[in-house]
Amino acid sequence: MRQRVVVIGGGGTGAALAHDLTLRGLAVTVLERGELTSGTTGRHHGLLHSGGRYAMTDRQSAVECVQENRILRRIAPGSFENGGGLFVAVTDDDADQRDEFVDACAESGIPTRLLSRSAALDAEPGLSPDVRLAVQVPDATMDAMRLPLRFFATAQRGGAVLRPFTEAVTFVSNGRSITAVVARDHMAGRNVAVPADLVINAAGPWSGRVAAMAGAEVPIRPSPGVLVAVTGRWCTHVVNRLHKPGDGDIVLPQRGLSVVGTSSWTVDDPDEVRVSSEHVRAILREGMRLVPAVGAASMRAAWAAVRPLIGATGSDASGRTLSRTFRCFDHAADGGADNLITITGGKATTLRSMAEATADIACAKLGVTTPCRTRDAVLLPHTAYYTSAEVGA
Amino acid sequence: MNETTDGEAAIRVTVYRRRAGDTDPHYDDFDVPYRPGMTVLDILMSIRSHQDAELTFRHSCLHASCGTCGMRVNRRERLACVTPAGAPGDQVLIEPLAGAEVRSDLVVDMRPFYESLDAVGRPLLRGDEHNHDGHRLEDCIECSLCTSACPVTATDGRYAGPAVLAATERVLREPRGHDAAAVLERADREQGAWRCHLALECSQVCPAGVDPAGAIMRLRRDLLRRHLALHVHRARNGRRS
Amino acid sequence: MTGRRGVRGWLDPRGRHSGMWTLVAGRVAGIGLTCYLYAHLAVLSLLTRGPGTWDRFVAIAGHPAFLALDAVLVAGLLVHAAHGVRVALQGSGLLIGARRSLMVALAVVGVAVGLVAIVLLFN
Repeated sequence: MRQRVVVIGGGGTGAALAHDLTLRGLAVTVLERGELTSGTTGRHHGLLHSGGRYAMTDRQSAVECVQENRILRRIAPGSFENGGGLFVAVTDDDADQRDEFVDACAESGIPTRLLSRSAALDAEPGLSPDVRLAVQVPDATMDAMRLPLRFFATAQRGGAVLRPFTEAVTFVSNGRSITAVVARDHMAGRNVAVPADLVINAAGPWSGRVAAMAGAEVPIRPSPGVLVAVTGRWCTHVVNRLHKPGDGDIVLPQRGLSVVGTSSWTVDDPDEVRVSSEHVRAILREGMRLVPAVGAASMRAAWAAVRPLIGATGSDASGRTLSRTFRCFDHAADGGADNLITITGGKATTLRSMAEATADIACAKLGVTTPCRTRDAVLLPHTAYYTSAEVGA
Repeated sequence: MNETTDGEAAIRVTVYRRRAGDTDPHYDDFDVPYRPGMTVLDILMSIRSHQDAELTFRHSCLHASCGTCGMRVNRRERLACVTPAGAPGDQVLIEPLAGAEVRSDLVVDMRPFYESLDAVGRPLLRGDEHNHDGHRLEDCIECSLCTSACPVTATDGRYAGPAVLAATERVLREPRGHDAAAVLERADREQGAWRCHLALECSQVCPAGVDPAGAIMRLRRDLLRRHLALHVHRARNGRRS
Repeated sequence: MTGRRGVRGWLDPRGRHSGMWTLVAGRVAGIGLTCYLYAHLAVLSLLTRGPGTWDRFVAIAGHPAFLALDAVLVAGLLVHAAHGVRVALQGSGLLIGARRSLMVALAVVGVAVGLVAIVLLFN
């Protein structure tokens, strides 16, 4: 019989894990308390990172991003708007960082092209007239929900069972080993027990709660950020501010909207996050310095997404200095449970590599030697998630 | 004015409820603490967090980009994430989209909708509005608000519906490798473009500015021209022979 | 549970816009006109019962209350005709960009013709 893996969390990481583990021949069930991608994943700005944003401050994340950027374009053709990205200097201080930025990109393997003021304005007429110079990078944009849905669709076609609206509530254990996950099926209003040989906690900012079900702890810092969408497509590039990541320093086109982001702070409960009007105003004020039209456009939405950053409670209150890379925790080592792994941190662009690293650990624990195949397996279209579902399963 | 038991200003919300397997729906009332700027989706999340963890509804992006949170708010099709909840004391009626099977509460079965979209074959990216290498995401976010608002789909499930016909028109305008003739043939049926009765509600409720009604009319214009041209051609040939 | 609203779906204009209202008005007027057609045939069949019966009917038909019913008939005809013209024009792909203007223009023409008809009717 195939070994059974239960993945808790139906976000981007859970999607890529379901796909990876299914390709390795495991019987995967994904439990998600709400709709798939309804936690953090669906809410991000839709940026496929080139890595440029992290090149100066977080080299490891930058390298992960540029590698995954290339892989995702290959396995998910048709999911990305290749508008490119610009890192724009709008002050002399920004312009002074040009060389450091270009060098950091080169060291991370991120191709760049330097644009003069006039070349930048030609390439992106929406830019502020204050622009001093710009550096072009291979940023792209995506649909934050539909890319993960392609992973889910492919996993589902391969036999994975996806259970949205099914919330993990307790573990059934035999000694130090989890044998089943008891979950509440909110659609039917009843509990179900899902047998498991291994459980992977991919609940993002909620992963602390899931780990606690096994008496384990993960050093997770739920770190919300506010994003603002305005009506109108005011730029075709992803426009980043050429400085160390800060608030309101990114503007990107998303269908008929322009999305401006973001702020960053930390909270204890990822379910209780308020969008403050001060954040919205500050983000639009900063966004206007890059693409002035976003300041005059009508606002479509303001919302918050909670990043699952890694850091001990009490560390950095803004969350800005916490790394955007990911970590796997094998709870056999910390006394939680022998067959529980937590994957957390990371970002949308690196969902596949997070899954690969986690699936490697999972397979080692289960004695499965099949190698990862997700670098080359082309994903089904997102519509296949709906058309191949077994309704009412 | 409504108040919660703690005396806070509240919005009175009436929500359609139906568990998977139930035969009949019922409606539940909730008093939800009011916050300035809150959306209908905020209301539902508040109910789920503080009053009823079993309330099921779909959502993802929170900025009218993913199309999952379509529902009927006060009998009108809306994306909950960008619909203001109203003022304290307001009453809000929240029901699932019409014209689709209810799976539970506000969650409807999207499968038939996606199957019919798949049959047209509209891709996720469009190529006619060029940016650097020529692609941007399609405007239609597949929310199916139009299908719910259409009085014809409300009456007859065989009608292709506005979203699918709008997708058809997109594919014809920009075939991108699709078999345009076959797609057009599918639209040229009684249950295709000709079934539209021009209530235009699809375009009124579309949250992404797609204008499905305009697309259907353009389709019909094109079909009409083809049919007329064919008749003229036949008539002329008939005269010669 | 299909969520389909059936006939209520096209008769219930709550929360809907002008296009739906014209659709409902056109359909209600159409049903009314169909009923009128049968009533009209029934009245015409009075002719078979001789001149006396018919004269009595004509006397009633000149009464102002009856003329008011005629005004309703004219209004129904105009609503149905205007809706028909709109559907025929837009439905064949004409004036796609001027949907609202077409509705307003037809409404103006309909009201004007209706007023003239009512004036003629009561004079």
